[in-house]
Amino acid sequence: MRASRTLNNPLFFLLPALLLIIVFYIIPLVITTWVSFTPLRNWRITLLSKYIGLENYRDLFYFITHDPDGILVLKTTVVFVVFTLIVNVLGGLLLAIATYIIEEKVSLTFRLLWLLPRMTPLAVFGLIWYYFFYGSPQGTLNAFLLHLGLIDKPYFWGTDPRLLPWSAWAIIVFVNGLVGVSYGMIIFYSAFKSIPPELITAAKVDGASTWQIIRHILVPMTRWHLVFVTVWQLLSLVTSYTHLFVLVDWRIVDKWHGTTWALFVFNEAFGDVKNQGLAAAAAVVLVIIGVLLGLVTLRIMRFSQTTPEPKGDL
Amino acid sequence: MRAKILALLLVAALIAAPLAVPLARAQEQPPELTGNWQQDVIALGKWFQAHGVTKIHFSVQAAGDPNSVMRMYGIVEAANRINKVWADNGINVKITVDTYWESDFKKQFDNFVTQYDLGQNGDFFVNSYIYIATLAADGRLLDITEWVQKYWNSVFSDFYAPLMKAAQYKGKYYGIPQDTEARPLYIRKDVAKCMGWDLTGLAEKVKKGEFTWADVFLKAKEAKEKGCADWGLIHRRGSAHPDLIQFIFAYGGKLYDNKTGKLVVDKTAIYKWFATEAAFADAGLLPRNILDWDWATQIHPTIVGESKAKGGTGNTLFDIGGTWYWTEWQTKDYYLDPHTHQKRPLTPEEVKEKFYYTLFPAGEKGDKPVTLSQPFMWMIAANTGKDNPHYNDPAYKKAYEELAFLIVVAASDPVINAVHSIISAHVPVRKQASALLKNKTFINNLVNLKLPFSQQVIDAIAPIVKKTANPINIEFLANVSYMLDYTHLAPSHPYYNKLADIFKDALDKVLKGEMKPADAVNYVVQKVKADPDLKDNTEIIGEIPAHWSLVPQATTTTSPAAGTQGTATTSPAQAQTTTGKKGGGHTGLIIGTIVLIIIIIAAWLAVRGKGQ
Repeated sequence: MRASRTLNNPLFFLLPALLLIIVFYIIPLVITTWVSFTPLRNWRITLLSKYIGLENYRDLFYFITHDPDGILVLKTTVVFVVFTLIVNVLGGLLLAIATYIIEEKVSLTFRLLWLLPRMTPLAVFGLIWYYFFYGSPQGTLNAFLLHLGLIDKPYFWGTDPRLLPWSAWAIIVFVNGLVGVSYGMIIFYSAFKSIPPELITAAKVDGASTWQIIRHILVPMTRWHLVFVTVWQLLSLVTSYTHLFVLVDWRIVDKWHGTTWALFVFNEAFGDVKNQGLAAAAAVVLVIIGVLLGLVTLRIMRFSQTTPEPKGDL
Repeated sequence: MRAKILALLLVAALIAAPLAVPLARAQEQPPELTGNWQQDVIALGKWFQAHGVTKIHFSVQAAGDPNSVMRMYGIVEAANRINKVWADNGINVKITVDTYWESDFKKQFDNFVTQYDLGQNGDFFVNSYIYIATLAADGRLLDITEWVQKYWNSVFSDFYAPLMKAAQYKGKYYGIPQDTEARPLYIRKDVAKCMGWDLTGLAEKVKKGEFTWADVFLKAKEAKEKGCADWGLIHRRGSAHPDLIQFIFAYGGKLYDNKTGKLVVDKTAIYKWFATEAAFADAGLLPRNILDWDWATQIHPTIVGESKAKGGTGNTLFDIGGTWYWTEWQTKDYYLDPHTHQKRPLTPEEVKEKFYYTLFPAGEKGDKPVTLSQPFMWMIAANTGKDNPHYNDPAYKKAYEELAFLIVVAASDPVINAVHSIISAHVPVRKQASALLKNKTFINNLVNLKLPFSQQVIDAIAPIVKKTANPINIEFLANVSYMLDYTHLAPSHPYYNKLADIFKDALDKVLKGEMKPADAVNYVVQKVKADPDLKDNTEIIGEIPAHWSLVPQATTTTSPAAGTQGTATTSPAQAQTTTGKKGGGHTGLIIGTIVLIIIIIAAWLAVRGKGQ
C-alpha cells in the first residue's frame, strides 16, 4: 500500500532529474550570482565572504559604455548568435531534407560526413582551420585562391583590418556552423523518418512535387522539432565559447572581433586578468538574457501548441 | 566529599594533560635565525628532531626555457646540502623535494593561484618578479623581510641592489633574486657584411646614444633594398611585452611613478614607440602580423636562418631579443641547414660568427640606450610547510617557514647561481657569481661536471652543460654584464599585466594598419579609463607630439598592405575625431540594445496575453 503510494507520487519520478538540476544548475547559478557580488580575483577564495554590492555590475556597464572594445563584444555576440543560428537551423533542415530524399546508402555516408566536425576533437578541428585560414601562401585557402588567380597575394583572413569585421565574423560563424549544423540535421532527419510513409506516397500519387511535399508535409509535421532545435541552438550559441577560444587564441581571428560575451566571461575568469567577480556578473547577465531569449522564442514559435495535453486518464 | 573533590581534580587533570602537551609545544618556539647559515640549519634541525619531526616534505613550482632547470634543481640541491649538514651533525631529519616544471611561466602562475587556496601549490614558487605584487597583495607570499635583514651582511649585500629592490612590495621582501637578463639588440653579422656595413665600434656608439632608432630603421631599409635580408627587424609576439616596452624607456618615457605608486601612461613615449614600429611595418621591414608569429616555427628560424632566396627560412638584420637566446639557439632546432635541409641547433662558434649585440638603442639623439630586466625570484608560499606534521601549530609553522628561507639562502649560493647563468645564458644576480664567470678553475670544473652538487642534480643538468658550457658562451655573458648598468624594470604593480595587455592590442592594431599610432595611443588611454582598476591606479601624462616622425624629412613609404596607414606621423586632432565617433556610437548602441530588449519583452507579454 505504502509502496504504491510512493510510486503514485510524481515527486518520486521527478527526484533524480530534480537532483541533477539542483546540483549541476541551481547551486552553480546561486554560487555564480553570489560571486558576482564579491571581489573574487586570482581565485582568492577567502574573498568570497566579502560583499561588495553591485560594484562588478557597475564595472561591467562601465566596460561596455567606455571601452572601445566593449561594444564590439556585444556586436560580435549578436552577429555570431543570429547568423550561426540561421546556419544551424536552416542548414540542418536543408541537410535533413537532402539526406531524406536521396537513397539511404548514400544518405548514411552523407550524414556521417557531416557529423565529422562534431566528432573531431576540438584541438584537431582548430588546427584544421588554423592551416586553412593561415595567412601565408601555404595556407589552404590562400593557396587555393592564388592557384585560381583570384587573389594576387595571401591574406590573413581573420585579422587583416581591411577585411574586418565581416571576415572574422564570417570565420566564426562558418566554423561553428559546421559543428552545429549536424545537430539539426540528425533531429530533423529522425523527425522526417517518423512521418507515416503513406502520407508521402499519397501526396506523390496526387501528383505533389518534391517542393510541395517539403512545404506541406515535412516542415509542418516537424514543427515541434523546428522549435526545439531553434531554442536549443539559440541557448547553446549564447553560451558557447570553446571553438571561439581556439580561433582567437591561435590568432585565426582578431581578438575582439572573435570575442563573444561568453568568451569574454571565460577570459575574465581564466585569462590573464582573473577577475572572477566581474566574470560572474557577466555570466549572470548572460543567464538572464539566455532565459529571456529562450522564453520569447518559445512564445513566438508557439511551442505550447506543438505539445498538446495527453489524452485519457492516468 | 573530599574524595569526590579529589576524584574531580583527577579527572580534570587527566583531561587537561593531553591538551597541555600541545600547549607546551606551542610555547616552545623554534630558534630565531641569526644570519649564520650553518648554525641556523643545525639549530633548526635539532629543534625538529626534538619535536619528533624526522621527515620534511617540500615542493617547488618553477618555470622557464629548457636550459633554466636550475630554478628547480637549485632548491633540490639546497635541500640536499641541508640534509648533509644534518647528517654530519647526527641530526636524524631529512628533507625531500618534489619538483614541478612548466615551460610557460604564465601557465605556472595560473597553476599556483588556482592551486593555492586548495592547498595544492608548491612551497617554493620560482617565477618572474612581476607576480610579486599580485601575490603579495593577496597574502600568498611569505614576508621574509626580517630574515633578509639578518642575512644582509652575510649574503644579500652581495646581490645587485636594483634586483633586491625588485624583490620588494610596499617596502617588504617577498622574494630573493634568482637570475636576471639583459635584452640586447642582435645584429646579423653576415647581413651587415653583405650590405657593406662595418660593425666595428657600433656597441660604443649605441652606448653613447649616437646610434638611435632612426639609424636602425635606415640600416634595416638598406639591408632589404640591397637584397641582403628578407626583413629588417624581428621581435617577439605580444606576450613578450618586456622586449617592446623598452621603446618607452628608450624614448625617455616612464611606466611607473615611484612617488605615487601608480602606473604611468606616457603618451609621448608610447606614441613614438608605436610610430617607430609602424614605420618599420609600413616599409615592409617588420612583418605586419609579427605579434601572431610563433616562437619556435617562425620567429627564431627567421632570426637565425638563411635568406629565402638561398632556400632558407628567411633572415633579418636586427632582432630584439634576450640574453637567453644565445644558448637557446645552441640547443633548439631552429636553423634550417642549407646543405642537409635538416633543422638543427647552431654551434657556439656559429652563433658567435652570426651575431653582434648592442644595448637597445636610444630613441632619439639625446636619449639614452636601455635594456630591461625581468628578474626571476625564489618566492616562498605563505602556506609553506603545509604538508608537514603539526603545521597548524604556530611554532611548527614558523619552523617550516624558517627552513624554507634557509633553503632559499642555500639555493642562492654563488656556484649554483653561476652554473645556472652559464647554462641558461642569464646574468648572475650576485657579484660573487659574476666573479666565478672569470674563474678558469670553476669553468674547467663545470665543463668536467666536477661540481659541489649532489649526483641527482649533476645527472639532471649534465646534458645541458655539455651543450652550453663553453668559453664562447661565458665570454658572451661577461660581455653583456655591463648592460645591467642601463637596465630598467617593468613595474611591479598588481595591474601592470592589464596595462601590458592593452599595449599589446594597440600595437597589433598599429602594425596591421587598423589604427594610426595616434589613434592607438588614444585607444590605450580610452581602455585605461574604461577599467576602474586601471583608472584609479594609472596616471596619464604627456601629449602626442605633433608632426613627429622616426626619420625626420623622410616619410615612410606606404605599402599596399598598409590600408589606411600612410606615414608614421598622425595628427592628434584626427585621432581625437575617430575616437570621439566611437564613443558616440557606443551610447547609441547601448540605448538600441536596451530598447530591443524592452521590445522583445513587450512582444512576449503581448503574445502571452493573446494566448490566454
